[in-house]
Amino acid sequence: MKKWTPYLLVSPYILHFAVFVAFPVVFSVVLTFHSWNIISPMQYIGLANYEHLFKDRLFWQAVWNTVRFLLVHIPLQIFVALILAELLNRTVRGASFFRAAFFLPVIVSGVVVTILWQQLLSYNSGILNRLLTAMSVPRVAWLDDPAVAMYSIAVMATWKNVGLYVILFLVGLQSVPMQYYEAADLEGATNWQKFRFITLPMINPTIFTVVVLSTISGFSLFVEPYIMTQGGPMNTTLSAVMYIYRQAFQFYHMGYSATLGFCFALIILFVVVIQRRYVEQEV
Amino acid sequence: MPKLSILLCLLGLTACNHEQATNRSLTFWCSNNAGEIAFAKNFTDQWQKQRPDKPLHYQPIPEGQSSEEIILASVVGKTTPDIYANMWQGSVEMYAKANVLIPLDTLTGFREFIMARCDSAVIREITSSDGHIYQVPWKVNPIMLVSNTLAMNDLNNAQPPYTYTKYLNAGRQFTQDKNGDGYVDQWLGYTEVKAIWYERLFNFYPLYLAASNGAPLIVNNRGRPSRAAFNNQYAVEVFRFLQTLYKDGYFAKERLSATRDPFLAKRIASQFTGPWTVGFLEKFKDPGFEYGTYAMPVPDNHRGPAYTYGDPKNIVIFNTCRDPQAAWEFVKTLVDKPGDLQLMELTGQFPRRKNVDTDPYFASFLTKNPRLLPFAKQARYIKGVDNSEVIVEVFDIISQEYEACVIFNKKTPEAAIADAAKAVDVLLMSERVKE
Repeated sequence: MKKWTPYLLVSPYILHFAVFVAFPVVFSVVLTFHSWNIISPMQYIGLANYEHLFKDRLFWQAVWNTVRFLLVHIPLQIFVALILAELLNRTVRGASFFRAAFFLPVIVSGVVVTILWQQLLSYNSGILNRLLTAMSVPRVAWLDDPAVAMYSIAVMATWKNVGLYVILFLVGLQSVPMQYYEAADLEGATNWQKFRFITLPMINPTIFTVVVLSTISGFSLFVEPYIMTQGGPMNTTLSAVMYIYRQAFQFYHMGYSATLGFCFALIILFVVVIQRRYVEQEV
Repeated sequence: MPKLSILLCLLGLTACNHEQATNRSLTFWCSNNAGEIAFAKNFTDQWQKQRPDKPLHYQPIPEGQSSEEIILASVVGKTTPDIYANMWQGSVEMYAKANVLIPLDTLTGFREFIMARCDSAVIREITSSDGHIYQVPWKVNPIMLVSNTLAMNDLNNAQPPYTYTKYLNAGRQFTQDKNGDGYVDQWLGYTEVKAIWYERLFNFYPLYLAASNGAPLIVNNRGRPSRAAFNNQYAVEVFRFLQTLYKDGYFAKERLSATRDPFLAKRIASQFTGPWTVGFLEKFKDPGFEYGTYAMPVPDNHRGPAYTYGDPKNIVIFNTCRDPQAAWEFVKTLVDKPGDLQLMELTGQFPRRKNVDTDPYFASFLTKNPRLLPFAKQARYIKGVDNSEVIVEVFDIISQEYEACVIFNKKTPEAAIADAAKAVDVLLMSERVKE
């Protein structure tokens, strides 16, 4: 083997990394100090983008909207996924059918799912409101009421992704040794006690994985509000990523958009580090 | 010797390339609807016959999410066509400042032609902040009020022309819960509630122009920062008018797009729309369905004509064009009288030229298409958008306040307009700092 052969072998990856990861990251950081609308030359403006960011009420609202989404989406996702996994872990008839059924939305295109839910949640003609009307309950503006819209999206996103986490939890549950449950049965433990003191601690790493994965995917919330509400009503479903996109591709503020992206990446990093420190130990 | 041969070959190739480049045919991008493709084809064929020395071919703009996006991508990739028809007037200033457009007023015969075709207000509107003209005013689609005459004429004190009071009266009488389920299912009108900036071009903006006799949104003072010009009684009145329409339930807040066209289904009695609606209504209306076209509603004490937004689309020549004079000579054939008449016949859209409604040259078309006559008459009183490279953001700011005030009633019209104007001033100031 020649001396340079190993370098040659890893060069495709290095090239890919340099072109698609390292260069965009470095270029984005450089962009944060510039004003650039794609078609005019870049103009150095120092820290003006960062100054603007701290005064930009809409960006912070978008970040808060994303956090609000996560606060509903993550607990709901874990709760629903855990219950479904626990049920599937028992010997039920048609378990493989249910596993496939729960996983199906994960592999369906996000855009298709979003459009489907948009129809379901329509104020006028949506099935949900028709059911409410049939039960003489007032209709709800699921996507048009500022107080409700983000929660509707959180529920939809949970439905879309829960199948993946059901599978993860199922793997976690099946890895718990049966001897612990048998010992607990001998001691006369209730089902709740077995779940609380055996299952939960044993699937701790799975829960942590689910929390981190759903946090990261939740922070990148884009397709659902982009298609269903376009960030409205009153910007209550405007997610941070959507705002970054809007600054870049609607107003062509590439420098400012890069600054927002950079700042938002730091926020995500901070949250994940906190989760790693505390959530992992607490669960 | 071999080196010399290679050098000669290279020189030969370069010469060929140069010859190819100068003889390269001009490219004309048109819009990709059937009418405009037919229009482009006719004029390209005609040009090829008359000027075989200046080859030119047309191509519908490549498919994409929006034509604006495609044009931007082509500017970035330096793959722009020589001529592009269908440029939204609001985008031109950004491209002009980026030096990617030919200043048309530097071409022989341009100024004389445009001054003969358009009135001075239009020429002022399309003149860039640097004093040059980068766009040929081409076509317009005035936004007007189209209403179901059978439904509206029966109402008391609600006949056209519509003032705010008359229109609200119509709303009070027409809006109904038809099936008694406690929800309104027949409204006076519908206009898009989404806070996307361009939706304001079809509700707030034409109403503002109507109320203010065509006042600008931004004042450009030479040598001084531009400022918001819409913090005035007209904008406040428009917000209050629209807010009342929604607050009192005369306009539907919910989206009616998933159903049959609500106007044809008689679920709404009126809509703010352009001449493109006429073809649609004529094709799909039920027998006996009657409609009329009127100016946008105005404040009760309004004097003078009701202006409206004209949705102007213009023609530009990019600086990648190697023969701008020939490109302009071709463009001239699209916008002279025969060109404008064909535009009307093939697309049902109106040229942005003087006196379309009274010029005998166009009379036969309007006689044949009486439904379009009100739009032709309105074409005298239209405005585009202010020449500002941040006009999209200005509309976005107004749109945010529109949603808070008009749709959700969370702000008074005075506060919403004042906040929007303040935000626009900050935006214009920051743009100036960048300059």
